[in-house]
Amino acid sequence: MSGRRPSPPDNRPEGEHEVKGLAFRDEGEGEQEAAPLVAPPPEKMMRRIGWPKLVLLPAVIAVVLLATWLWFQRADLDSISETALSNGNVWKAFKQHVQLTVISTFFVLIIAIPLGILLTRKAFRKAAPIAMTFANMGQATPAIGLLALLVIWMGIGEKPALIGIIIYAVLPVLSNTIAGLKANDPTLMEAARGIGMSSVGVLTKVELPLAVPLILAGVRTALVLNVGTATLATFGGGGGLGVLITTGITNQRMPVLLLGSILTVALALFVDWLASLAEILLSPRGLEVKS
Amino acid sequence: MNFWDYIGNRHQQLLADAYQHASAVFQCMVVATLVGVLIGVVSYRSEWAGNLATLTTSTILTIPALAMIGLLIPIVGLGVAPTVIALTLYGLLPIVRNSIVGLRGVDPALIDAAKGIGMSRIARLVKVELPLAWPPILTGIRVSTQMLMGIAAIAAYASGPGLGNEIFRGIASLGSKNALNQVLAGTLGIIILALIFDAVYVLVGRLTIPRGIRV
Repeated sequence: MSGRRPSPPDNRPEGEHEVKGLAFRDEGEGEQEAAPLVAPPPEKMMRRIGWPKLVLLPAVIAVVLLATWLWFQRADLDSISETALSNGNVWKAFKQHVQLTVISTFFVLIIAIPLGILLTRKAFRKAAPIAMTFANMGQATPAIGLLALLVIWMGIGEKPALIGIIIYAVLPVLSNTIAGLKANDPTLMEAARGIGMSSVGVLTKVELPLAVPLILAGVRTALVLNVGTATLATFGGGGGLGVLITTGITNQRMPVLLLGSILTVALALFVDWLASLAEILLSPRGLEVKS
Repeated sequence: MNFWDYIGNRHQQLLADAYQHASAVFQCMVVATLVGVLIGVVSYRSEWAGNLATLTTSTILTIPALAMIGLLIPIVGLGVAPTVIALTLYGLLPIVRNSIVGLRGVDPALIDAAKGIGMSRIARLVKVELPLAWPPILTGIRVSTQMLMGIAAIAAYASGPGLGNEIFRGIASLGSKNALNQVLAGTLGIIILALIFDAVYVLVGRLTIPRGIRV
């Protein structure tokens, strides 16, 4: 089905692994964390994150939200826009959106990461290419189509939306996990076995710690993907900020549309920023790429 | 009406939608490829510019498609315009990133050799660096195309062209007998289109990747 891809570049610039997972899951193009052999000199915790990274994005988001709020204070809304935005509807949509994202991400991770570990064990290794092919096919499935099918099958509500979001994000995180575990330096595993570690020991003490950056990248991928797919939940009656966007489009009310879009964008960027911080803070120090 | 009857009855409409879908994605991919490779060429030599290009395009990719379209509608209105702009923007990241990675990955010794035989900067870029960087760029194009297939479906909500309309017609008539047929036809159509495009890219790769660097 899926032909071999042209050989992907295996010389990524340092620190490139944190880019959103959406795209780059070609086989062999795994993470490069095992590369640096020179341990970085000890630094203070805060030095790991430069202040521009810490301040810039939240500041931009805050300014945009403030500007939007000021604009809404002055804008005269007609009755349709009023109803769409009153009664805490905006807050409710926002809360639903966050809920959908968090719950779905949780499930994505507890499904995809153990499955990825399982598929790289000896007994199941034969199944990995099949799973990868499946994952590649899944990439071609439009999220909205998947969601619509689930809604037809299960009825309107939050449940089909959640399941759709989860299915859609499991595949990329799974193939990322498999690619990353495969990219671990085999000599390290060999060395671990050589000093007499059991296979469980090798997994928990060597392979998994080496794969932590990758797992964190998976978390980030899932979060960002899920914030996006959650906007589609509205088409299946699942709520979320997509409600404001679709209400704005169908009723031709630009303020509602703009507010929905701006909040969604702000949420997506903020979630991505949080996840990127977590990636930096939680990666084992020994794997850090010296910059 | 079962699914095959539905396909038989509506094949003209479906083919028209599929054609529009493919053509929208294809045209946006051409623009995204040209712009993306250009950005890559301009920025890969400086660490700073390259990182800025990657950061900007990856920020765009973080924005949910529906929100991006929502932001574009007040500016350019409904229909083809927001679809084309959104698709082109989303198509950029994988191409920009892979161009930069590919161009930076070219063996400096080869560039030196090219310099040594008297090639100009442009000649080096066109005859040495870009052909060597082509496989990762092509991978970027494939990844982008797959992604755009799905985003184009969402753009149909803003009256964009393509098979997404079939899906949204199904959602609008939830509960009716045809809803499933419509959604299924739209979804499967998009999957088939994506697979066809992917096969074409494999072929393009066979034909255009210089023989010397094939694996």
